[in-house]
Amino acid sequence: MPDKIKRGDGLPPAMTRLVKELSRLPGVGEKTAGRLAFHLLNRPRDEVIALAESLLEMKERVGLCSGCFGLSDTPRCAICDDPAREHDLICVVEGPADLMAIERARGFSGIYHVLHGALAPLDGVGPEDIKIKELLARLSDPGAVREVIVATNATVEGEATALYLARLLKPLGVKTTRLARGLPAGGDLEYSDTATLQSALTGRREL
Amino acid sequence: MAAEERTPAIVLRARDYSESDRIVTLLTRDMGKLSGIARGAKASKRRFAGKLEPFSHVMLYFRRRPLGHLVFITRAEPADLTPIRLDDDLGKIALGSYMVELTDALASEENEAADAYRILSTALILLGEAGPTPALRQAFELKLLGWAGFGLEFDRCRLCAAPSETAGARLYFVVARGGVVCTRCRSEAPEGGFPISPASALALARIGAASLEAACANSPAGADGGVSLARFIGSIVDRRLRSIEFLDSVMPTGNGPSR
Repeated sequence: MPDKIKRGDGLPPAMTRLVKELSRLPGVGEKTAGRLAFHLLNRPRDEVIALAESLLEMKERVGLCSGCFGLSDTPRCAICDDPAREHDLICVVEGPADLMAIERARGFSGIYHVLHGALAPLDGVGPEDIKIKELLARLSDPGAVREVIVATNATVEGEATALYLARLLKPLGVKTTRLARGLPAGGDLEYSDTATLQSALTGRREL
Repeated sequence: MAAEERTPAIVLRARDYSESDRIVTLLTRDMGKLSGIARGAKASKRRFAGKLEPFSHVMLYFRRRPLGHLVFITRAEPADLTPIRLDDDLGKIALGSYMVELTDALASEENEAADAYRILSTALILLGEAGPTPALRQAFELKLLGWAGFGLEFDRCRLCAAPSETAGARLYFVVARGGVVCTRCRSEAPEGGFPISPASALALARIGAASLEAACANSPAGADGGVSLARFIGSIVDRRLRSIEFLDSVMPTGNGPSR
């Protein structure tokens, strides 16, 4: 067998490049990237162009809302610009995905503040690394905000952020509340873990 | 397939990996420090349900892999271990983060660390019950340093053995000597030294000699004692601990009132 054969992955360079780019995506390994590349190769040209254009458009147009720091393709997002919303009620979330989750629940009529992270002492993420300063700026007008709901995750980082915010906001005289923690809808008491049950008991409400 | 093993453990750190997995580092009672991958940890409420967060005190079930040092974590349960609850106070989270990060820095993978596990679990349980105090921080630091082989001496001069209470108005903590030297001997310690009051040195000596539980009831050393410990830790840990800055913003390094 000749020993000077150049061996690659057997794909044309354009496919290899696409596989390499796709495998950078979270949760996508090289095999999945290869399957996606073959799928795209077999799709009609206009579908592939639409995908490529939407990626470019997203990158060029989507930025942060100047009000809440959520994602927006206009200077202020639709939620911040909606006069029907309660602008004196701010829900603080860690990221845009959390904002979307609360919007999907359809139970909140206020506006948001997106921190883009949470305090993580073990990772060296401090208050200056997330949008806490920007939240304080929004609260600088006395009386403009009635309540701040801290809706950070129920993780160590989320709790640290909530406690830190409470420490900053209480002296400002702004009512600061935390999302309740407890049993999930349809949850079975018997199978609940102790931490959830303790939180549910602490946060019980009168019927 | 390797047999499933189990041991009590405390989660030191955890990070998300791919869509639903987590890579977790724990200090175990029986197998030292261990890192493993928990497949589906973010999705599985039954096997993990919030048990792989920093400070979690769990019965860890895992299987070793034939290759690679990461074990497969199969489940984590509270069992009948004393729960550690720090999420109701910012100071508890800050000091707890520092405790687990310092332990992580001083413990090496799979070396026996039963005493370190006992020190860390006791300290975190006390922290959850009594809150963050300068005495607890100093007691934890001294106990863990002692476990790691750094028995610091504060009750007498490291050079002439003069007792700290009769050594004069000022002592000097010398990192390279692992303890204090008196004013007379200072010139013989070319490494220099950080001034520390005899009261702070004696407070650290008392805290170091007592059990963790008893140490918490003692008066802490002053700011000079806290800085001495911080300097020593800084000299032996090969990286800046990331939790220090946050801890210092919540609970100043001084640890206690200056004397």
